[in-house]
Amino acid sequence: MPDTTESLGHDWNPRRRDVLRLIAAFLAEHFLPRRALAERLRSYKKPTHRVIIATFGGGARYKDTLAPEGWRNIPHLTQDLIPQGLLYPTAINDGITDHYNSSAALVTGNWQPVDPWGSQPPLSPTLFEYFRKERRLPAEEAWVIATNKSFGLMGASNVRGYGDRYAANVILPKQLLLDAIQHAVSTDKGPGVENREAFAKQMLSSLDEGYEGFGWQVYESGHHISHELKLSLEKALLDYFNDPRVPSSGDTLTFFMAKEIMRRFSPSLMLVNFWDMDIAHFGSYSLYLQGIMRTDRLVWDLWQYVQTSPDYRGRTTMFVIPELGRDADADGNGFCNHRSGDPSCRRVWLLALGEGVPRRAGSERPIRHVDIAPTVAEILGFKAPDLQGKPLVELAV
Amino acid sequence: MDIYDGLTPDAKALVEQHQAVLKRLPRTFLVNTLIQIQRWPSLFEAERDYFRALFDQLSALTPAEFEQMFGPLSAFEAKTGCARLDAKNAATLQQEQLQFLRRQSTNFEWRRLIGAIFEKLEPMVEARLYSSNLPPRLVVLIYSEGIAIERETLWQRLRGVGVRIPLDLGAAQTTEPFLAQLLTGKPPASKAPTLFKWLDQVKGLPPSQRWLIETGDELHTMCEQNDQIATAGPSATGLSYRRLRPYRRRLSEAIYSKVSTGGVGGPVQLSEWLETLEARPHEGLSLYHDRAVVDFIRDILVLGGNGTLIINNSFVEWSSVQALHRARPRLLVARFGVRDKLKPFSSLLLFSQPRPTDKIPLTQDPLGSFVDVELETYYIWLKSSGELPYRGKTLYLLLAEGVNQMLAIPASEAARANLDVSTRVTLPDVMATMAEWLGVPSLPVNGRPISALLS
Repeated sequence: MPDTTESLGHDWNPRRRDVLRLIAAFLAEHFLPRRALAERLRSYKKPTHRVIIATFGGGARYKDTLAPEGWRNIPHLTQDLIPQGLLYPTAINDGITDHYNSSAALVTGNWQPVDPWGSQPPLSPTLFEYFRKERRLPAEEAWVIATNKSFGLMGASNVRGYGDRYAANVILPKQLLLDAIQHAVSTDKGPGVENREAFAKQMLSSLDEGYEGFGWQVYESGHHISHELKLSLEKALLDYFNDPRVPSSGDTLTFFMAKEIMRRFSPSLMLVNFWDMDIAHFGSYSLYLQGIMRTDRLVWDLWQYVQTSPDYRGRTTMFVIPELGRDADADGNGFCNHRSGDPSCRRVWLLALGEGVPRRAGSERPIRHVDIAPTVAEILGFKAPDLQGKPLVELAV
Repeated sequence: MDIYDGLTPDAKALVEQHQAVLKRLPRTFLVNTLIQIQRWPSLFEAERDYFRALFDQLSALTPAEFEQMFGPLSAFEAKTGCARLDAKNAATLQQEQLQFLRRQSTNFEWRRLIGAIFEKLEPMVEARLYSSNLPPRLVVLIYSEGIAIERETLWQRLRGVGVRIPLDLGAAQTTEPFLAQLLTGKPPASKAPTLFKWLDQVKGLPPSQRWLIETGDELHTMCEQNDQIATAGPSATGLSYRRLRPYRRRLSEAIYSKVSTGGVGGPVQLSEWLETLEARPHEGLSLYHDRAVVDFIRDILVLGGNGTLIINNSFVEWSSVQALHRARPRLLVARFGVRDKLKPFSSLLLFSQPRPTDKIPLTQDPLGSFVDVELETYYIWLKSSGELPYRGKTLYLLLAEGVNQMLAIPASEAARANLDVSTRVTLPDVMATMAEWLGVPSLPVNGRPISALLS
């Protein structure tokens, strides 16, 4: 269950807090009626504004997206979204050009030098921690929904005074999918992968068995799936399986999860990481472009959902940015990798949309990934001190 | 520890001969060099020549040149402290050095310094290696039948450097006659020797100088059928993605077993485990193969990453790039195919072997394959044409089975300017041109060389 006792009690005795948490969990799971639980969840002052950071998380080159030859790959951005917002055509990733450190820079405002495979949390506090601590918010107000399955520790640093108690909930939908498929194919019994209905049940059951079981180690952040959250995930999974158009995309599942979490909890701060395009590492340019196009569509769908939701419409600012670029053709292995640190690997773009953002605007001023976090802090009205990034002054926040 | 452990006698002799200079090298540079020559039995002759020249050149540097070249890296190592790292062997030390630099966020600076060293060093080594006249080389890139070719955009990225030449295909509209006419100059029924065989018979080039890499195995079959009639002995060093299927399956099973039993914590650990995996191929080897080739296939499929184990055209592209870079062949023929679509659900477990009831019928992706191979052929040209043995000495020919045009990238700008593209040529003409270019003139084929391409 979402841990409101913990989030409100940063000065509590830890042992007492643990006991209370257990009691609260027990009561909530077994005695409290659903409605009462829902009301309890809203027994705090919900922030007015919302911020969503959506990433082209696998890394997309400027030439494959915002350069004229890349426009055909991002039709929704170029035709639907850019006219509604403020475009920075030059956003520079000056940090380590791996996925984890790049996204960690976005949510901390500091360049991060930690293990690229996600075995360590960011070294400085995340936006989620600053936000929740200062505003005394429960965990359901801050979320990371990531296709990249190494993002398990993206929700919080382990800086003294911050850390898990103020972390974002982290959901890794693709991990869930992989786990279920693993179960489905690992035995001669069971549903297999062709029987969609049975397979969906298999996926749902994996929620009970722990969804961090397969493959790469997924590092637990101290937050566990609550009953409420599990219901949300089940709903999103069923939606996912009932949509015949999207049978195999981790990013589509991430979108479904994000939408369901927005519908149920309307969190104020979210990082949504799309990652399918990282299939580029397999050397197929067409599959990489398909991943970009899918993210373009999902970002558009996400923005449309924002516009139709009373909890989000008119109060949401969304940032869209590639986590990183990829190598230029002349260096390394071109689009396949992002390890050269060349300009193609570092130069991407940023689009800001929604509240406080001028429409049909652009700024040639180069900005950096670490500038996102201080800007988000200003929009949501909390302090995030000592960041390497600077707020984007073009936004009227 | 002894970072010199694990060297074969040949490599050890080379090290001992140059011990004085090796002791002065910055630690990270030394370790990475030793890692390379530890693989001496797996190196191609061109690579061994390179390391001999490299060591000779290092020993020949004056103290001032040495300081100018390596001083910044030595200072970097002293400043970061990475020179003080120690480990049980060179491989472990290399990993620890890299992780150390990564943790400090100094890995890009280190790479920049290494790059700066090689910017100065490479021309000196190349001057030792390629001081005399370089031989002509030929790279032939073929799109197989089934790829959905968009003629308007075909070879678009290379149009600026190449010339389209119209082809009269005659009866060679499909794969078998197309390949036979192109690489033997005669119809399939003739069972005539291939260009690979002529290079063996007339020029005496070793198999490591003649490479054939393809997604399918039609060219392999043709070589086996036609060239064995001529004389015994292999036509070429051959890599067939299709024929390597049993080996690919064995690798996949080993990886899947390791991953699914929780034996690795992440990609770095998986990579380290793969380095130690004794998984040389013994299945699907065809045409010529020696220890270097066998290890080359293992490296491409196991360590190369980049999807070579999963996607056929990635295998062909990466193998070609690496073969050109490492073995420096005089002739490379690479043939791309249609890749399969990634399958829903089961494709997410890329290394798994679903039970039969889970196997979704394979469907092909002809359009996606075209997008892929357009970039892959460009990358092969881009990466090889910049290297000294190929620069100004290589004729590139791009063809697509059943398509009545080809793209020629002549070795010189002058040849490109002089090309007459108004006359259709035949596939035997192309065969005659390739043979003449490689120094095998007057073959008994029914074609005439395209003289403008030979200048």
